[in-house]
Amino acid sequence: MFEHVDPRSPIPLYEQIASRIRVAVAAEELAAGQALPSVRQLATSLRINPATVVQAYRELEADGFVERRHGAGTFICDVPSETKRRERIRKAEALVRNLMDEAGRLGVNGIDLQEALDRQLSRRRK
Amino acid sequence: MSNSVELQDVSYSPGKDFEISGLTLTVPTGAVYGFLGPNGSGKTTTMRLMMGMHRAQQGEIVVLDRTVPKDLPDILARTGYVPERPHLYQTMTVSEAVRHHGAFFSTWDENWVDSLFDRFDLTPNRRIRRLSKGELGKLMLLLALGQRPELLILDEPTEGLDPVVRRELMSVLLEYVNDQKATVFISSHLVHELERFCDWIGIMDHGRLVAELPMEQFKNGIKRLRVMNPELCSPDEPFEILGRTSVNGGAPGEMWLVRGWNPAMTTYFESNGAQLREVVDLDLEDGFVALLQAFRAEMEGR
Repeated sequence: MFEHVDPRSPIPLYEQIASRIRVAVAAEELAAGQALPSVRQLATSLRINPATVVQAYRELEADGFVERRHGAGTFICDVPSETKRRERIRKAEALVRNLMDEAGRLGVNGIDLQEALDRQLSRRRK
Repeated sequence: MSNSVELQDVSYSPGKDFEISGLTLTVPTGAVYGFLGPNGSGKTTTMRLMMGMHRAQQGEIVVLDRTVPKDLPDILARTGYVPERPHLYQTMTVSEAVRHHGAFFSTWDENWVDSLFDRFDLTPNRRIRRLSKGELGKLMLLLALGQRPELLILDEPTEGLDPVVRRELMSVLLEYVNDQKATVFISSHLVHELERFCDWIGIMDHGRLVAELPMEQFKNGIKRLRVMNPELCSPDEPFEILGRTSVNGGAPGEMWLVRGWNPAMTTYFESNGAQLREVVDLDLEDGFVALLQAFRAEMEGR
């Protein structure tokens, strides 16, 4: 699930990792009690600075998404469903904002965008 | 100890064609410091100054809290170095070269060297001159790590290596940094490689330091802005303008290359009656090139 860090993005790498995990928890891709990879493992496999992984885990701990047990590793917490819902909404908002920025750059207006979104969503549901 | 390397106003001119002048540079302890610059900008010379291989004519160099050149023996015992060009005896075998190198260090860790030997899949009996570039690259890193250094000075350690070997080297290096909390000072032309794991960036050009800042600040602060009605903007902008160009393809507005940007500064454009149409993110390579161009333009203007 960590194959998508983008070092060229202006979003700091630690934030990319933290938000990826937050979303995975919100979408119930990761369950309470599940272990995250160790700092060393994740840093090596992504070829990033271990300090970056530590920073991501620390941030998640401060948000109550993970718990760091000394000597044992980092584990997903039992996150309240209200928090999960809020996280999903936040992610959705961010995605739409990106879409709108891109549309603005290309000169596509809001009405066309809204219609296209509705059409695509109903097509998906079928 | 908060800094592993401190250069204070260092000057060194070996001849007419090249000089390092007034170089002040700081590598915080625990940092992975990426050292960028075009060929011939003085990166290798700077590293050699730190290692005491050149004598600065002016200024102060402190490495691991000790002074160069007075305390060099102590500094070198605690610093692993990969030089630009391997300095090994061509007729030695790999295992002879390892033994020869290890004999200089009281902290040489044989078990760890053996495990790296296996991991890098090196052939003990092969002569140095018969090694492929990749094998040589692995051997050089192994020699630098074997002494368990607190500081690693790596001069293009992955130059000319294929991506498989490069990744292997990088993962060993990162594991070491994680386990030992070592400081790394690394130069490379592979900017995207540095982008992944450096937390500090220094840029050299013509023997001078163009910029030195934390990676995050580098990436967040340097942007390209598309500005509509730029003529309305007052000259008291809250950021530094590095360059102004017209928009490609003759579209209206101007592209501004700026440093020290943050999103709250959008109000500057609004209060002047101009519009900020777009904020373009630059990656490390774009930012690097942009900073160099701005630096050179400024030098010429002087």
